[in-house]
Amino acid sequence: MNRTEVCEQIKQMISENLRIPEDLLEYDADLFGEESDIALDSIDSMEIIAGVDELYGIDMTGVGKEHFRSIDTLADYVMSKAE
Amino acid sequence: MAKRCVITGIGMVCALGNDVSQCWNNLVNGVSGIKDVKSVDTEGCYSHLGGEVDCYNLPAPQYDRSVRLCIKAADEAINDSKLSEEDLKKAGLMIGSCVGGAASIDKFYTGVLNGNEDNNDVFKMSASSIANNVACHFGMQGVTSNIVNACAAGTMTISHACNLIKENSADIFLAGGTDSFSSLAFAGFHALHALAEDSCSPFNHSNGITLGEGSAIVVVEEYEHAVKRGAKIYCEVIGSGVSSDAYHITAPHPQGEGQMSALSRAIKSAGIKNEEVEYINAHGTGTAKNDAAEFLSLHTLFDCGKPMVSSTKSMTGHCLGAAGAIEAAITIKALVENTAPPTIGYSDEDKEALKEKAGDIEFIANESVKKEMTTVMSNSFAFGGTNASIIFTKDGKEKNADTQEKKFCITGIGSLTSEANGEKSLYCDLAPEVFSSRGVKLGFYRKLDRFSQLEVLSGVDALKDADIAITAENASSIASLTGTCDGPMTEITSFQQVVCEKGSTAGSAFSFPNTVYNAAGGYLSIFTGIKGYCATAANGTQAGIQALCHACTELSAGTETACVVTGTDENSENITDIYSRMNLQTDYPLGEGSVSVVCETVESANSRGAKKYAEILGRASGHIAQDYKDSSVKEELLAVTIDKVLNNAGISANDIDLVYTTYKEKDLLSKKFENVTDVCQNTGDCRAASALMCVKMACESFSEGKGNVALCISAGNGGACSAVILKRSE
Repeated sequence: MNRTEVCEQIKQMISENLRIPEDLLEYDADLFGEESDIALDSIDSMEIIAGVDELYGIDMTGVGKEHFRSIDTLADYVMSKAE
Repeated sequence: MAKRCVITGIGMVCALGNDVSQCWNNLVNGVSGIKDVKSVDTEGCYSHLGGEVDCYNLPAPQYDRSVRLCIKAADEAINDSKLSEEDLKKAGLMIGSCVGGAASIDKFYTGVLNGNEDNNDVFKMSASSIANNVACHFGMQGVTSNIVNACAAGTMTISHACNLIKENSADIFLAGGTDSFSSLAFAGFHALHALAEDSCSPFNHSNGITLGEGSAIVVVEEYEHAVKRGAKIYCEVIGSGVSSDAYHITAPHPQGEGQMSALSRAIKSAGIKNEEVEYINAHGTGTAKNDAAEFLSLHTLFDCGKPMVSSTKSMTGHCLGAAGAIEAAITIKALVENTAPPTIGYSDEDKEALKEKAGDIEFIANESVKKEMTTVMSNSFAFGGTNASIIFTKDGKEKNADTQEKKFCITGIGSLTSEANGEKSLYCDLAPEVFSSRGVKLGFYRKLDRFSQLEVLSGVDALKDADIAITAENASSIASLTGTCDGPMTEITSFQQVVCEKGSTAGSAFSFPNTVYNAAGGYLSIFTGIKGYCATAANGTQAGIQALCHACTELSAGTETACVVTGTDENSENITDIYSRMNLQTDYPLGEGSVSVVCETVESANSRGAKKYAEILGRASGHIAQDYKDSSVKEELLAVTIDKVLNNAGISANDIDLVYTTYKEKDLLSKKFENVTDVCQNTGDCRAASALMCVKMACESFSEGKGNVALCISAGNGGACSAVILKRSE
């Protein structure tokens, strides 16, 4: 798996499943938090867990929230588990 | 004197048994109905438990399971109340539901996957069909409504029935709720990780809910009527309260603010003190968030009186739209049997822990308690932030009526509809600018399904047009009411398609909250801050006008001064597919939209110097039972409804100079009236939005100096019809 591909797949998954325009989803943009334009919440994180599981068969249940910070950190987590 | 409402019959079916006595025996003995789920495939799920009804001979197999469960419970209630055929024919019917025809939706889309779908199922999908079909089964010709505020629905129907009786709409209502077990709810709560792995453990381990199914119906009757016919009177309904959290679509307000508002409203309307409540059937779902907020609410309001409290969901499972009705029936039984049923599932250790948490409240663990009781309460809280509470007593007293009859007017209008242009199906423009121009941010509206987006946009416009800003001071004085034919059917069917294809583990946590019919009303309340009465009613294409009638009834009974009334229906590929399978005769392509009006007391509008589009002279709903599949409009139905609304307005047909309706009624109405306008011609058939469009267009005519008295009337599938008469405001 190529990291850029993973980033792009996660971006598309988030865009489709959470109804966020792709142009907001820079790889390093903060996904969570009030200051973020995207401002995801706990229900959204469940959808990300389901999406990552569906895409890569990797279970992120209970994984620390630092890995959910951005598309970059999600991709890093996926890459580390896939290796 | 104010009219009094009493309970004269009860019927119930749930996991605990197929009638009231079976259920009650199990309840007082602390027997659980929760077992391994049979009707939904739970493969791969972390939970496999549910409370399913075990009844091999449910009546009326042509209907959805929710309707069949409801007929079963209604039949028992009718017999228990010894209603004559004549009384039953006149009786109204108020049914609460959360998932509506979810079992039929599952069956249909499973059929699509296997290439053997049954188009008869598409008529059973919407919750709109439930009350009509139950009424049709019993030949009932009174007013019907489906109140669809998720898990609070079954409480709200009893409350609304009482308020309708108090304003002379009928002497008798069958009221309650029904929901079948469904893969929709199971997969949804599974996705939210809200299911308990073992049986739910409310006010104890609080690690999730266990779903149930069932129905309960009570006969609500005007006191004098019950006395005159020698009916057995169980108790009196002396108070009820409904509120909106305006906080979050699934989570309750953590400090229980909205819950306490509903409970306090009920206590105030009952004219009692908090300490007079002796038993409380709590909502008690068993989720950490619910139980924490409810503990706090109960302690804050009731530590003074030391009431007994239990959650019978530990035995019935959470029956969603039926829960409030089942628990109201249980609460009534508790009162008349002087026995409080327990919350089960406590170990000795748990009991010790409970003592510390319980404080002055007597949480009943494992074993029922016999105690003389006079006044009891049942509470229900729902997704969308709806809270409802109802109070029953053995010791009802006559109360003086609020002598001043309230008058209502229209002070604001907002609308968003598709435009007819000859295409097969029509859509509204929901581009980002449509939201940003109204100050609705992406972070908020991206969460909303199409149905909710339409509703929020028109609701916000109507409030702005009425020049009402929601503040901390007026939030509880403003109500909201949504009328819809099909509710969020796009979100429901899309969710269901995935579950049918990929199994119960594939539900979307993101979309599930939007599958409840009152999510749209909930989002409107969250966005604007409205905290008063709220209801969503699924009543076919005429639901927009019936919602306005419903709003007037509740504004008359309650303390709110204004209500945002909305008629909303959406369009999508799935909905166009469903309608094409219905093969209806329509003059226009299917459209979508949302029309909102602000209905305000004349007193409030005058006091703030608001502009008034029109005064509401009269309002009425009529009903002539026919199967929900039958969308034909009968001349007799229009005649009955017009008679009722003219009578309510105190005018004659000759006084009407404008008529607004849809293409379905236009020809019949043109025989009797001049100036009949079909409101669908420019928008397509927007169903509930078209119904309320009648009111909007009448108001606009007045503004243009045209006409003085307008009749707005719409009939829907299944023989329901509602009308209002508007008068130009001086």
